[in-house]
Amino acid sequence: MAASVDTTLRRPSMAERRPSMAERRPSMNTRRPSVIPHLAGIEDPVFPSTPEDCDVLICGTGLVESILSAALSWAGTNVLHVDSNPYYGDTTATMTIEQIKAWCHNVNLNTPGFHGFAKALMYIPRPAKLNSRDYSIDLTPRLLFAKSDLLSLMVKSRVYRYLEFQSISNFHTFENDTFGKMSSSKEEIFTDQSLSLATKRSLMKLMKFVFEYDSEGNKQLMAEFGPTPFLKFVNDKYKLSDAQVNELCFTLGLAPTPDISTLAALARIRRYLISFNVYGSFPALYSKFGGPGELSQGFCRSAAVAGATYKLDSPIKSYDPSTQKVTFRDGTKVNVAEKVVCSASQAPEGAKNVPERKHQVNRLITIVERSCKEWFNEGESASVVVFPPKSLDSMNNYPVQVIIMGAGSGCCPAGQCIWYLSTIEKDQRGRKDLESALKKMEDSILRESEDGGFDVDLTEDDVIVRPDGSLSVINSVKLGKSFKEFAPKEKLTYLFKLMFTQFTSIDPLDSHTGAPSTTSFDDNGKNSIPGPDQGILYSQMPSTEISYDGVLAEVRALYTKIVGSDDDFFDVDFEDDDENSSPSGPPAGGVGAAAGLQDESAIIDEDGEEFKDEMDFEL
Amino acid sequence: MSHTKQTSVKLVLLGEAAVGKSSLVLRFVSNDFQENKEPTIGAAFLTQRCTIGSKTIKFEIWDTAGQERFANLAPLYYRNAQAALVVYDITKPASFIKARRWVNELRENANKNIIIALVANKYDLVLSEESGEEVDGARKVSIEEGQNLADEEGLLFFETSAKTSYNVNEVFMAIGEKIPDNANKNNNADTSVNSGTNRIDLNSPVDPNVNSQNCAC
Repeated sequence: MAASVDTTLRRPSMAERRPSMAERRPSMNTRRPSVIPHLAGIEDPVFPSTPEDCDVLICGTGLVESILSAALSWAGTNVLHVDSNPYYGDTTATMTIEQIKAWCHNVNLNTPGFHGFAKALMYIPRPAKLNSRDYSIDLTPRLLFAKSDLLSLMVKSRVYRYLEFQSISNFHTFENDTFGKMSSSKEEIFTDQSLSLATKRSLMKLMKFVFEYDSEGNKQLMAEFGPTPFLKFVNDKYKLSDAQVNELCFTLGLAPTPDISTLAALARIRRYLISFNVYGSFPALYSKFGGPGELSQGFCRSAAVAGATYKLDSPIKSYDPSTQKVTFRDGTKVNVAEKVVCSASQAPEGAKNVPERKHQVNRLITIVERSCKEWFNEGESASVVVFPPKSLDSMNNYPVQVIIMGAGSGCCPAGQCIWYLSTIEKDQRGRKDLESALKKMEDSILRESEDGGFDVDLTEDDVIVRPDGSLSVINSVKLGKSFKEFAPKEKLTYLFKLMFTQFTSIDPLDSHTGAPSTTSFDDNGKNSIPGPDQGILYSQMPSTEISYDGVLAEVRALYTKIVGSDDDFFDVDFEDDDENSSPSGPPAGGVGAAAGLQDESAIIDEDGEEFKDEMDFEL
Repeated sequence: MSHTKQTSVKLVLLGEAAVGKSSLVLRFVSNDFQENKEPTIGAAFLTQRCTIGSKTIKFEIWDTAGQERFANLAPLYYRNAQAALVVYDITKPASFIKARRWVNELRENANKNIIIALVANKYDLVLSEESGEEVDGARKVSIEEGQNLADEEGLLFFETSAKTSYNVNEVFMAIGEKIPDNANKNNNADTSVNSGTNRIDLNSPVDPNVNSQNCAC
């Protein structure tokens, strides 16, 4: 048919795209190395007007779009990367207080560019004490597991060199009004005095299974139980307390729901265990000065080094798939040879093809006037707290997950702390759960003393009441409920509080794998509904997951959709120009990891088999 | 080779497009200080060591990578920068006006104690090839104007030519001289939190078998 031939002729195939960075590499006698983008050159003046042509236009500088932009740029694609907002990060932005205020306003007005968020409620007490720029607040905070695809990519692509990473080793579980920390490593389980031998045995058995569930020998078992609920599976097969199961499933596994399948839960728990001891005795890291927002900027810079053009504050108005022209709201037009990718939040006004977002995550972000260092491991500035289902007064059906970022994370001034609470519970119910969890956190931090002494084993008798009635030493982790009423009625000062609802098309049950929703890929023009966004390929709103897992899977899916395959995804031989760039020396946090190994032989499996080598947590 | 103390210094480039930022860096990096080295593909930034007296400074030079085109530099770019070159073209007055804006931008976004050098580039363009004297009317920004701005703002000031390498090394040497010896320790001074101990190098896993670069990613 004539029409289709016409289209084929107009659209250059990806095989004809310009040579990749590796191919464009200068020969030895070329004076001008290609690592310096031509835009900044002396002999090649450019003017700040939007380019007229590009291969791929990407709208939105969120993490998924930014990694995609870098991947395409390094593969030789001419990328124009825009954002409708005047800052980087889109739905995964890291913001100052002033930026967050404006963001709330726009969300509540349902301004285009802020779709996918709703009902932002903010509270800042007067007189406001906050210096806006002292804060880096993440819309979607995330943790980076030490063994994960995104971390490997950051090392390979050298993006990690733009960023600073810190460890996070405290994963607390809230139980009976206390924050417990589970024995999650082999060494800790062996040395944990509170565990009975039978429990230790059961725990070790389960841990062993976590590593082996996908082996040939367990195929039949997993075929039967893989899709069934994990909580039932583990209760039937292992002699563990509810508290231990909760810790495994919701704290180590960060499972978002009690309905999680055995297969998904095992994958999640394994993720934690194999990440342990990769960089030290901690499972996860976070980037300083902000999470996904910082990573986005790092990948945007990588894309720019590879030749991508950046333009913020440029909302798009429409795309015409027949002429392959995008019109911006200010009237400028650009020809897009290959594909328009758009973040779901930045869909043009009147969009008809945005993927349905039926899942919710409710978030509460607050800044408190407390260092909260009681909750951090020594030398660290962050921790995780999980409130398992039914652990709150609101009788929460889903866990509430909390990331706590202290001043050492570079996200707030000294003496303050940011708490990020989230749950997949919907609407008012979700907000109630968040408030209920916040209350528990407030009670807990008020019970804990600022003046230390937590390395001492305390009993209730050890607490000293000063003449003025205040307590000199309280350790709620040890003392818990019995001392709740004992604490002075001190007030916790909230400097900032924000609650909002975010929607996503990614099912929380799949969020760690990043299985892309099929609806977002109906972009072939035939399938999409006529409108200003016909033919646009949408990226999805961030998942409910509080780790980075799943992000890269979505990027690869989009990349494959654009290029045809992901064979050459970041297939560039990145080199450091400085061989001494990684100062060696032991990474922090490795203290005490090797303790207590002499007890090892005391634990024998029922089969008489020693847990010596099999229990190595590094695969 | 004696082991002098090495200080890493993040240096960012700012200035309108096409004033010669990259050329200045290329001149500095490839014009032999210690060894002649081609910048490599995918390098996060360019590096150059130079020895000033008893100290060795390793410059980590961040080019704008085209993100200056619409003045859309990310906060990440300014973060912990200890030095900056604000570059303009002495034949283009508009670029000098922009230079003022970039200085303001730095004051807003960068560390308070950042060392800034104002660099008036393309000095070669105002010189006659025969006489080596300045050609009348070729220069559009006078040396006094540049010097005044530098004095007002407390900046180092140099007229340079990336083409002839005139004054290029001098800019970097002058910055190097102003860098305090313990600059690395004070890297995070603006956050007033000492967290240098907890920094994890992602390229140095405890177990070398994991997260290797050949990982399927």
